[in-house]
Amino acid sequence: MASSDKTINTDVPEKDVFAIHFLQSLSNLTTQNPFNSPDTTNYRARKIKKAAYVSMAKAAGGSSRLWSRALLGRAAKENNKIVRFARRKRKVTWKISSKRRSDQRAPEATDRLRNLVPGGGTMETSKLMEETAHYIKCLSMQVKVMQCLVDGLSPK
Amino acid sequence: MLEGLVCQESLDMSVLERLKWLQQQQHQLQHVVSQSSNNSPELLQQILQLHGSNNDELLQGGFSQFQMIGSGFGPNYNMGYVPSHEAMDGCISRTSSCQMDPVDAMDVLLKNGEEDKPISLKNKRKAEVKTREEEKTEKKIKVEAETESSMKGKPNMRNTEASSKETLKEVSEIPKLDYIHVRARRGQATDRHSLAERARREKISKKMKYLQDIVPGCNKVTGKAGMLDEIINYVQCLQRQVEFLSMKLAVLNPELELAMEDASVKQFQAYFTNVVGSSKHSIMVDVPLFPLDQQGSLDLSAINPNQATSIEAPSASWETQSQSHYNTSSLGFQY
Repeated sequence: MASSDKTINTDVPEKDVFAIHFLQSLSNLTTQNPFNSPDTTNYRARKIKKAAYVSMAKAAGGSSRLWSRALLGRAAKENNKIVRFARRKRKVTWKISSKRRSDQRAPEATDRLRNLVPGGGTMETSKLMEETAHYIKCLSMQVKVMQCLVDGLSPK
Repeated sequence: MLEGLVCQESLDMSVLERLKWLQQQQHQLQHVVSQSSNNSPELLQQILQLHGSNNDELLQGGFSQFQMIGSGFGPNYNMGYVPSHEAMDGCISRTSSCQMDPVDAMDVLLKNGEEDKPISLKNKRKAEVKTREEEKTEKKIKVEAETESSMKGKPNMRNTEASSKETLKEVSEIPKLDYIHVRARRGQATDRHSLAERARREKISKKMKYLQDIVPGCNKVTGKAGMLDEIINYVQCLQRQVEFLSMKLAVLNPELELAMEDASVKQFQAYFTNVVGSSKHSIMVDVPLFPLDQQGSLDLSAINPNQATSIEAPSASWETQSQSHYNTSSLGFQY
Protein backbone atom coordinates (compact mmCIF):
# COMPACT_ATOMS: atom_id res chain seq x y z
CA MET A 1 0.00 0.00 0.00
CA ALA A 2 3.05 2.22 0.15
CA SER A 3 3.23 4.84 -2.48
CA SER A 4 6.40 6.60 -1.63
CA ASP A 5 7.74 9.50 -3.52
CA LYS A 6 11.36 10.32 -3.75
CA THR A 7 11.38 12.73 -0.91
CA ILE A 8 7.88 12.58 0.46
CA ASN A 9 6.85 9.65 2.52
CA THR A 10 3.14 9.12 2.83
CA ASP A 11 2.76 5.49 3.64
CA VAL A 12 -0.55 4.43 4.94
CA PRO A 13 -1.08 1.17 6.81
CA GLU A 14 -3.30 -1.46 5.39
CA LYS A 15 -7.01 -1.73 5.60
CA ASP A 16 -6.83 -4.26 8.40
CA VAL A 17 -5.31 -1.81 10.78
CA PHE A 18 -8.01 0.71 10.17
CA ALA A 19 -10.65 -1.95 10.52
CA ILE A 20 -9.27 -3.15 13.82
CA HIS A 21 -9.16 0.29 15.31
CA PHE A 22 -12.57 1.19 14.09
CA LEU A 23 -14.18 -1.93 15.47
CA GLN A 24 -12.42 -1.42 18.74
CA SER A 25 -13.70 2.07 19.07
CA LEU A 26 -17.17 0.97 18.11
CA SER A 27 -17.23 -1.70 20.75
CA ASN A 28 -15.93 0.83 23.22
CA LEU A 29 -18.79 3.04 22.29
CA THR A 30 -21.44 0.46 22.84
CA THR A 31 -20.05 -0.69 26.14
CA GLN A 32 -19.78 2.83 27.32
CA ASN A 33 -23.29 3.90 26.56
CA PRO A 34 -24.67 5.70 29.57
CA PHE A 35 -28.33 5.47 30.26
CA ASN A 36 -28.97 9.11 30.64
CA SER A 37 -28.02 10.16 27.16
CA PRO A 38 -30.62 10.40 24.41
CA ASP A 39 -30.50 7.47 22.11
CA THR A 40 -31.54 9.16 18.95
CA THR A 41 -30.07 8.32 15.63
CA ASN A 42 -28.40 11.69 15.29
CA TYR A 43 -26.68 11.37 18.58
CA ARG A 44 -25.46 7.92 17.77
CA ALA A 45 -24.35 9.02 14.35
CA ARG A 46 -22.30 11.81 15.83
CA LYS A 47 -20.70 9.45 18.27
CA ILE A 48 -19.86 7.02 15.55
CA LYS A 49 -18.37 9.78 13.47
CA LYS A 50 -16.17 10.90 16.30
CA ALA A 51 -15.13 7.33 16.92
CA ALA A 52 -14.31 6.94 13.26
CA TYR A 53 -12.06 9.98 13.25
CA VAL A 54 -10.27 9.03 16.39
CA SER A 55 -9.74 5.46 15.27
CA MET A 56 -8.47 6.72 11.95
CA ALA A 57 -6.01 8.99 13.68
CA LYS A 58 -4.80 6.17 15.86
CA ALA A 59 -4.51 3.74 13.04
CA ALA A 60 -2.83 6.05 10.62
CA GLY A 61 0.11 7.10 12.65
CA GLY A 62 -0.62 7.81 16.22
CA SER A 63 1.66 10.64 17.05
CA SER A 64 3.86 10.68 14.02
CA ARG A 65 1.63 12.90 11.98
CA LEU A 66 0.63 16.41 12.80
CA TRP A 67 -2.97 16.02 11.78
CA SER A 68 -3.47 12.88 13.82
CA ARG A 69 -2.01 14.53 16.87
CA ALA A 70 -4.29 17.48 16.42
CA LEU A 71 -7.31 15.22 16.01
CA LEU A 72 -6.53 13.20 19.06
CA GLY A 73 -5.82 16.30 21.08
CA ARG A 74 -9.11 17.77 20.02
CA ALA A 75 -11.00 14.63 20.92
CA ALA A 76 -9.31 14.43 24.25
CA LYS A 77 -10.23 17.99 24.98
CA GLU A 78 -13.85 17.21 24.29
CA ASN A 79 -13.59 14.43 26.78
CA ASN A 80 -11.99 16.72 29.30
CA LYS A 81 -8.88 14.67 29.30
CA ILE A 82 -5.61 16.22 28.42
CA VAL A 83 -3.34 14.09 26.32
CA ARG A 84 -0.02 15.51 25.44
CA PHE A 85 2.41 13.96 23.06
CA ALA A 86 6.13 14.18 23.23
CA ARG A 87 6.97 17.32 21.41
CA ARG A 88 8.95 16.63 18.33
CA LYS A 89 11.95 18.80 17.89
CA ARG A 90 11.05 21.51 15.48
CA LYS A 91 13.77 23.12 13.52
CA VAL A 92 13.08 26.81 13.66
CA THR A 93 14.26 28.03 10.32
CA TRP A 94 14.40 31.60 9.36
CA LYS A 95 11.28 31.12 7.29
CA ILE A 96 9.17 30.34 10.30
CA SER A 97 10.52 33.21 12.31
CA SER A 98 9.78 35.61 9.52
CA LYS A 99 6.24 34.30 9.37
CA ARG A 100 5.75 34.91 13.02
CA ARG A 101 6.76 38.49 12.57
CA SER A 102 4.02 39.25 10.10
CA ASP A 103 0.83 38.98 12.04
CA GLN A 104 -1.52 40.04 9.34
CA ARG A 105 -1.27 37.79 6.39
CA ALA A 106 -3.30 38.50 3.32
CA PRO A 107 -6.15 35.95 2.99
CA GLU A 108 -4.30 33.09 1.46
CA ALA A 109 -5.60 30.50 -0.87
CA THR A 110 -4.51 27.78 1.49
CA ASP A 111 -6.59 29.07 4.36
CA ARG A 112 -9.54 26.92 3.48
CA LEU A 113 -7.33 23.87 3.35
CA ARG A 114 -5.96 24.72 6.75
CA ASN A 115 -9.45 24.82 8.12
CA LEU A 116 -10.26 21.42 6.73
CA VAL A 117 -7.18 19.49 7.66
CA PRO A 118 -6.91 19.11 11.42
CA GLY A 119 -3.94 20.87 12.86
CA GLY A 120 -3.40 22.89 9.76
CA GLY A 121 -3.50 26.25 11.36
CA THR A 122 0.16 26.65 12.11
CA MET A 123 2.03 24.75 9.51
CA GLU A 124 4.19 25.75 6.68
CA THR A 125 2.55 25.42 3.34
CA SER A 126 4.80 22.64 2.17
CA LYS A 127 4.18 20.74 5.37
CA LEU A 128 0.49 21.35 4.92
CA MET A 129 0.63 19.71 1.53
CA GLU A 130 2.26 16.61 2.92
CA GLU A 131 -0.22 16.38 5.71
CA THR A 132 -3.07 16.84 3.31
CA ALA A 133 -1.84 14.01 1.14
CA HIS A 134 -1.56 11.65 4.04
CA TYR A 135 -4.87 12.79 5.43
CA ILE A 136 -6.60 12.17 2.14
CA LYS A 137 -5.18 8.68 1.91
CA CYS A 138 -6.23 7.83 5.43
CA LEU A 139 -9.67 9.27 4.93
CA SER A 140 -10.25 7.22 1.82
CA MET A 141 -9.09 4.12 3.65
CA GLN A 142 -11.44 4.85 6.49
CA VAL A 143 -14.27 5.33 4.04
CA LYS A 144 -13.54 1.97 2.50
CA VAL A 145 -13.54 0.27 5.86
CA MET A 146 -16.82 1.83 6.85
CA GLN A 147 -18.27 0.96 3.50
CA CYS A 148 -17.30 -2.65 4.00
CA LEU A 149 -18.91 -2.65 7.39
CA VAL A 150 -22.09 -1.08 6.19
CA ASP A 151 -22.37 -3.43 3.29
CA GLY A 152 -21.84 -6.37 5.53
CA LEU A 153 -24.37 -5.29 8.04
CA SER A 154 -27.05 -4.24 5.67
CA PRO A 155 -29.90 -6.68 5.35
CA LYS A 156 -29.49 -9.13 2.54
CA MET B 1 -22.62 -2.24 -18.46
CA LEU B 2 -20.14 -2.58 -15.78
CA GLU B 3 -17.18 -1.78 -17.94
CA GLY B 4 -18.83 1.31 -19.25
CA LEU B 5 -19.50 2.44 -15.77
CA VAL B 6 -15.94 1.84 -14.71
CA CYS B 7 -14.51 3.63 -17.71
CA GLN B 8 -16.74 6.57 -17.33
CA GLU B 9 -16.18 6.96 -13.66
CA SER B 10 -12.48 6.60 -13.79
CA LEU B 11 -12.16 9.31 -16.34
CA ASP B 12 -14.56 11.90 -15.16
CA MET B 13 -14.27 11.82 -11.47
CA SER B 14 -15.34 15.36 -11.06
CA VAL B 15 -17.20 16.97 -8.28
CA LEU B 16 -20.48 16.63 -10.07
CA GLU B 17 -20.15 12.90 -10.31
CA ARG B 18 -19.27 12.60 -6.71
CA LEU B 19 -22.26 14.63 -5.73
CA LYS B 20 -24.43 12.48 -7.90
CA TRP B 21 -23.08 9.42 -6.25
CA LEU B 22 -23.81 10.86 -2.84
CA GLN B 23 -27.34 11.63 -3.87
CA GLN B 24 -27.72 8.15 -5.20
CA GLN B 25 -26.65 6.76 -1.93
CA GLN B 26 -29.11 8.87 -0.07
CA HIS B 27 -31.91 7.72 -2.27
CA GLN B 28 -30.96 4.15 -1.77
CA LEU B 29 -30.97 4.60 1.91
CA GLN B 30 -34.65 5.27 1.78
CA HIS B 31 -35.60 2.03 0.17
CA VAL B 32 -33.44 -0.92 0.86
CA VAL B 33 -33.40 -3.05 -2.18
CA SER B 34 -32.48 -6.62 -1.90
CA GLN B 35 -30.77 -7.68 -5.00
CA SER B 36 -28.59 -10.47 -5.77
CA SER B 37 -25.24 -9.01 -6.22
CA ASN B 38 -23.77 -11.70 -8.36
CA ASN B 39 -23.83 -9.55 -11.39
CA SER B 40 -20.39 -10.16 -12.69
CA PRO B 41 -18.02 -11.22 -10.00
CA GLU B 42 -15.45 -12.51 -12.38
CA LEU B 43 -15.27 -9.28 -14.26
CA LEU B 44 -14.96 -7.28 -11.12
CA GLN B 45 -12.20 -9.47 -9.88
CA GLN B 46 -10.48 -9.18 -13.18
CA ILE B 47 -10.64 -5.44 -13.11
CA LEU B 48 -9.51 -5.27 -9.55
CA GLN B 49 -6.65 -7.61 -10.14
CA LEU B 50 -5.24 -5.42 -12.82
CA HIS B 51 -4.11 -2.88 -10.33
CA GLY B 52 -0.94 -4.56 -9.47
CA SER B 53 1.00 -4.87 -6.35
CA ASN B 54 0.17 -1.62 -4.76
CA ASN B 55 -3.34 -2.26 -3.76
CA ASP B 56 -3.31 -5.99 -3.88
CA GLU B 57 -3.96 -6.69 -0.29
CA LEU B 58 -6.45 -3.93 -0.17
CA LEU B 59 -8.55 -5.03 -3.03
CA GLN B 60 -8.14 -8.71 -3.04
CA GLY B 61 -8.26 -8.64 0.67
CA GLY B 62 -11.91 -9.12 0.50
CA PHE B 63 -13.09 -5.83 -0.72
CA SER B 64 -14.27 -7.26 -4.00
CA GLN B 65 -15.65 -10.28 -2.26
CA PHE B 66 -17.24 -8.03 0.18
CA GLN B 67 -19.06 -6.17 -2.48
CA MET B 68 -20.65 -9.47 -3.34
CA ILE B 69 -22.00 -9.86 0.12
CA GLY B 70 -23.64 -6.57 0.53
CA SER B 71 -26.47 -6.09 -1.81
CA GLY B 72 -28.49 -3.71 0.19
CA PHE B 73 -27.49 -0.67 -1.66
CA GLY B 74 -27.06 -2.03 -5.10
CA PRO B 75 -23.95 -3.01 -6.90
CA ASN B 76 -23.98 0.03 -9.10
CA TYR B 77 -22.26 2.62 -7.10
CA ASN B 78 -20.22 0.06 -5.30
CA MET B 79 -18.51 -1.38 -8.24
CA GLY B 80 -18.68 1.71 -10.30
CA TYR B 81 -17.34 4.30 -8.02
CA VAL B 82 -15.03 2.70 -5.65
CA PRO B 83 -13.01 0.37 -7.81
CA SER B 84 -12.56 3.05 -10.36
CA HIS B 85 -11.32 5.28 -7.64
CA GLU B 86 -9.05 2.46 -6.72
CA ALA B 87 -8.03 2.24 -10.33
CA MET B 88 -6.98 5.81 -10.45
CA ASP B 89 -5.20 5.49 -7.21
CA GLY B 90 -3.41 2.35 -8.20
CA CYS B 91 -2.52 3.52 -11.64
CA ILE B 92 -1.24 6.88 -10.77
CA SER B 93 0.23 6.47 -7.37
CA ARG B 94 2.41 3.69 -8.55
CA THR B 95 4.85 5.99 -10.23
CA SER B 96 6.06 9.27 -9.12
CA SER B 97 8.53 10.48 -11.65
CA CYS B 98 7.72 8.70 -14.86
CA GLN B 99 4.34 8.73 -16.39
CA MET B 100 4.73 5.67 -18.54
CA ASP B 101 3.30 3.10 -16.20
CA PRO B 102 -0.13 4.60 -15.79
CA VAL B 103 -0.41 4.48 -19.53
CA ASP B 104 -0.01 0.76 -19.59
CA ALA B 105 -2.28 0.24 -16.68
CA MET B 106 -4.87 2.50 -18.17
CA ASP B 107 -4.61 0.66 -21.42
CA VAL B 108 -5.25 -2.64 -19.85
CA LEU B 109 -7.99 -1.32 -17.68
CA LEU B 110 -9.86 0.32 -20.50
CA LYS B 111 -9.42 -2.50 -22.90
CA ASN B 112 -13.11 -2.81 -23.44
CA GLY B 113 -13.98 0.80 -23.23
CA GLU B 114 -14.97 2.98 -26.06
CA GLU B 115 -12.62 5.72 -25.07
CA ASP B 116 -9.73 3.35 -25.29
CA LYS B 117 -7.75 4.72 -28.18
CA PRO B 118 -7.98 8.44 -27.66
CA ILE B 119 -7.25 8.16 -23.97
CA SER B 120 -4.22 5.97 -24.44
CA LEU B 121 -2.94 8.24 -27.16
CA LYS B 122 -3.43 11.24 -25.00
CA ASN B 123 -1.59 9.61 -22.17
CA LYS B 124 1.25 8.58 -24.40
CA ARG B 125 1.59 12.06 -25.70
CA LYS B 126 1.57 13.35 -22.20
CA ALA B 127 4.23 10.85 -21.31
CA GLU B 128 6.44 11.90 -24.15
CA VAL B 129 6.13 15.50 -23.27
CA LYS B 130 6.82 14.67 -19.71
CA THR B 131 10.00 12.79 -20.48
CA ARG B 132 11.25 15.58 -22.64
CA GLU B 133 10.47 18.08 -19.96
CA GLU B 134 12.12 15.90 -17.43
CA GLU B 135 15.34 15.87 -19.33
CA LYS B 136 15.35 19.60 -19.43
CA THR B 137 14.54 20.05 -15.84
CA GLU B 138 16.75 17.26 -14.69
CA LYS B 139 19.58 19.55 -13.98
CA LYS B 140 17.26 21.94 -12.33
CA ILE B 141 16.01 19.21 -10.05
CA LYS B 142 19.54 18.27 -9.26
CA VAL B 143 20.24 21.79 -8.26
CA GLU B 144 17.11 21.86 -6.21
CA ALA B 145 17.97 18.63 -4.50
CA GLU B 146 21.37 19.84 -3.66
CA THR B 147 19.93 23.09 -2.53
CA GLU B 148 17.53 21.36 -0.22
CA SER B 149 20.10 19.00 1.11
CA SER B 150 22.40 21.77 2.10
CA MET B 151 19.80 24.11 3.45
CA LYS B 152 19.77 23.46 7.11
CA GLY B 153 19.33 26.51 9.21
CA LYS B 154 20.02 29.43 7.00
CA PRO B 155 20.06 28.94 3.30
CA ASN B 156 23.47 29.92 2.20
CA MET B 157 23.48 30.38 -1.51
CA ARG B 158 25.97 32.33 -3.42
CA ASN B 159 25.81 33.34 -7.03
CA THR B 160 28.78 33.37 -9.21
CA GLU B 161 27.39 35.78 -11.74
CA ALA B 162 24.40 38.01 -11.77
CA SER B 163 24.20 37.09 -15.34
CA SER B 164 21.56 37.89 -17.81
CA LYS B 165 23.27 35.96 -20.53
CA GLU B 166 22.43 32.51 -19.25
CA THR B 167 19.07 31.08 -20.05
CA LEU B 168 19.47 27.70 -18.51
CA LYS B 169 20.10 27.17 -14.87
CA GLU B 170 23.25 25.11 -14.41
CA VAL B 171 25.26 23.82 -11.62
CA SER B 172 28.66 25.27 -12.11
CA GLU B 173 30.36 23.56 -9.22
CA ILE B 174 29.92 20.62 -7.06
CA PRO B 175 28.41 22.07 -3.92
CA LYS B 176 30.52 22.30 -0.87
CA LEU B 177 29.15 22.02 2.55
CA ASP B 178 27.00 25.08 2.66
CA TYR B 179 27.33 26.86 -0.60
CA ILE B 180 25.54 26.29 -3.80
CA HIS B 181 26.86 28.07 -6.81
CA VAL B 182 24.00 28.86 -9.02
CA ARG B 183 23.69 30.68 -12.24
CA ALA B 184 20.54 32.61 -12.29
CA ARG B 185 18.05 32.53 -15.04
CA ARG B 186 17.66 35.39 -17.45
CA GLY B 187 15.80 38.26 -15.97
CA GLN B 188 15.43 36.88 -12.47
CA ALA B 189 16.67 38.43 -9.32
CA THR B 190 19.64 36.89 -7.70
CA ASP B 191 19.64 38.05 -4.17
CA ARG B 192 19.52 35.59 -1.43
CA HIS B 193 15.97 36.03 -0.31
CA SER B 194 14.37 35.71 -3.67
CA LEU B 195 16.37 32.60 -4.41
CA ALA B 196 15.26 31.05 -1.19
CA GLU B 197 11.76 32.13 -1.97
CA ARG B 198 12.00 30.49 -5.34
CA ALA B 199 13.25 27.27 -3.83
CA ARG B 200 10.40 27.30 -1.37
CA ARG B 201 7.89 27.87 -4.11
CA GLU B 202 9.31 25.01 -6.09
CA LYS B 203 9.04 22.76 -3.10
CA ILE B 204 5.45 23.66 -2.72
CA SER B 205 4.70 23.10 -6.36
CA LYS B 206 6.39 19.73 -6.21
CA LYS B 207 4.13 18.75 -3.36
CA MET B 208 1.12 20.05 -5.20
CA LYS B 209 2.04 17.81 -8.09
CA TYR B 210 2.17 14.89 -5.72
CA LEU B 211 -1.24 15.81 -4.42
CA GLN B 212 -2.44 16.06 -7.97
CA ASP B 213 -1.63 12.42 -8.43
CA ILE B 214 -3.61 11.45 -5.41
CA VAL B 215 -6.73 13.45 -5.97
CA PRO B 216 -8.61 12.05 -8.91
CA GLY B 217 -9.70 14.47 -11.50
CA CYS B 218 -7.08 17.01 -10.71
CA ASN B 219 -5.24 16.59 -13.97
CA LYS B 220 -7.64 18.68 -15.93
CA VAL B 221 -7.27 21.77 -13.87
CA THR B 222 -4.11 23.75 -14.16
CA GLY B 223 -2.83 26.39 -11.88
CA LYS B 224 -2.46 26.43 -8.20
CA ALA B 225 -5.83 27.93 -7.38
CA GLY B 226 -7.84 25.44 -9.38
CA MET B 227 -5.96 22.50 -8.01
CA LEU B 228 -6.38 23.79 -4.52
CA ASP B 229 -10.08 24.07 -5.11
CA GLU B 230 -10.24 20.50 -6.31
CA ILE B 231 -8.26 19.27 -3.38
CA ILE B 232 -10.41 21.11 -0.90
CA ASN B 233 -13.48 19.77 -2.59
CA TYR B 234 -12.16 16.26 -2.42
CA VAL B 235 -11.37 16.50 1.26
CA GLN B 236 -14.82 17.87 1.92
CA CYS B 237 -16.34 15.05 -0.06
CA LEU B 238 -14.45 12.46 1.91
CA GLN B 239 -15.48 14.01 5.17
CA ARG B 240 -19.07 14.08 4.06
CA GLN B 241 -18.80 10.44 3.11
CA VAL B 242 -17.56 9.58 6.56
CA GLU B 243 -20.45 11.44 8.07
CA PHE B 244 -22.91 9.74 5.80
CA LEU B 245 -21.55 6.30 6.47
CA SER B 246 -21.60 6.90 10.18
CA MET B 247 -25.23 7.87 9.89
CA LYS B 248 -25.88 4.66 8.02
CA LEU B 249 -24.11 2.69 10.66
CA ALA B 250 -26.10 4.38 13.35
CA VAL B 251 -29.27 3.39 11.59
CA LEU B 252 -28.17 -0.18 11.20
CA ASN B 253 -26.73 -0.48 14.64
CA PRO B 254 -29.63 -1.00 17.02
CA GLU B 255 -31.43 -3.33 14.70
CA LEU B 256 -28.61 -5.80 14.69
CA GLU B 257 -27.31 -5.35 18.23
CA LEU B 258 -23.72 -5.34 17.31
CA ALA B 259 -20.93 -5.84 19.66
CA MET B 260 -22.82 -7.56 22.38
CA GLU B 261 -22.88 -10.95 20.78
CA ASP B 262 -20.11 -13.26 19.86
CA ALA B 263 -21.57 -14.21 16.53
CA SER B 264 -21.54 -10.73 15.14
CA VAL B 265 -18.03 -10.10 16.40
CA LYS B 266 -16.77 -13.08 14.49
CA GLN B 267 -18.63 -11.93 11.46
CA PHE B 268 -16.72 -8.69 11.47
CA GLN B 269 -13.51 -10.42 10.70
CA ALA B 270 -15.14 -12.09 7.77
CA TYR B 271 -16.18 -8.72 6.44
CA PHE B 272 -12.68 -7.48 6.08
CA THR B 273 -10.88 -10.61 5.09
CA ASN B 274 -11.15 -12.77 2.07
CA VAL B 275 -13.08 -15.72 3.20
CA VAL B 276 -16.79 -15.56 3.32
CA GLY B 277 -19.00 -17.78 5.35
CA SER B 278 -16.36 -19.69 7.19
CA SER B 279 -15.98 -18.46 10.66
CA LYS B 280 -13.66 -21.07 12.01
CA HIS B 281 -10.39 -19.31 11.43
CA SER B 282 -11.84 -16.01 12.36
CA ILE B 283 -12.70 -17.26 15.79
CA MET B 284 -9.06 -17.84 16.34
CA VAL B 285 -8.39 -14.34 15.25
CA ASP B 286 -10.81 -12.35 17.23
CA VAL B 287 -9.68 -13.65 20.54
CA PRO B 288 -6.72 -11.29 20.88
CA LEU B 289 -8.75 -8.56 19.29
CA PHE B 290 -11.61 -8.34 21.65
CA PRO B 291 -10.59 -9.31 25.08
CA LEU B 292 -12.98 -6.74 26.42
CA ASP B 293 -15.60 -7.65 28.87
CA GLN B 294 -18.71 -8.37 27.03
CA GLN B 295 -21.97 -9.80 28.11
CA GLY B 296 -21.56 -12.88 26.00
CA SER B 297 -18.35 -14.29 27.33
CA LEU B 298 -15.62 -15.27 24.97
CA ASP B 299 -14.45 -18.63 26.07
CA LEU B 300 -10.80 -18.37 25.33
CA SER B 301 -9.87 -21.79 26.59
CA ALA B 302 -12.59 -23.53 24.71
CA ILE B 303 -11.93 -21.86 21.43
CA ASN B 304 -8.19 -21.84 21.23
CA PRO B 305 -7.12 -25.46 20.86
CA ASN B 306 -9.81 -26.28 18.35
CA GLN B 307 -8.88 -23.75 15.77
CA ALA B 308 -5.16 -24.10 15.81
CA THR B 309 -5.05 -26.07 12.62
CA SER B 310 -5.37 -23.99 9.51
CA ILE B 311 -4.68 -20.35 9.70
CA GLU B 312 -4.81 -18.69 6.37
CA ALA B 313 -2.52 -15.90 5.38
CA PRO B 314 -4.81 -12.92 5.78
CA SER B 315 -6.06 -13.93 9.16
CA ALA B 316 -2.56 -14.67 10.35
CA SER B 317 -1.41 -11.28 9.35
CA TRP B 318 -4.51 -9.86 10.95
CA GLU B 319 -3.66 -11.54 14.17
CA THR B 320 -0.07 -10.45 14.38
CA GLN B 321 -0.94 -6.98 13.35
CA SER B 322 -3.77 -6.77 15.77
CA GLN B 323 -1.58 -7.94 18.60
CA SER B 324 1.11 -5.45 17.87
CA HIS B 325 -1.23 -2.60 17.35
CA TYR B 326 -3.38 -3.43 20.27
CA ASN B 327 -0.36 -3.38 22.49
CA THR B 328 1.02 -0.17 21.17
CA SER B 329 -2.14 1.79 20.81
CA SER B 330 -2.77 2.91 24.29
CA LEU B 331 -3.60 6.52 24.58
CA GLY B 332 -6.00 5.95 27.34
CA PHE B 333 -9.24 7.43 26.41
CA GLN B 334 -12.61 6.12 25.99
CA TYR B 335 -13.17 6.23 22.31
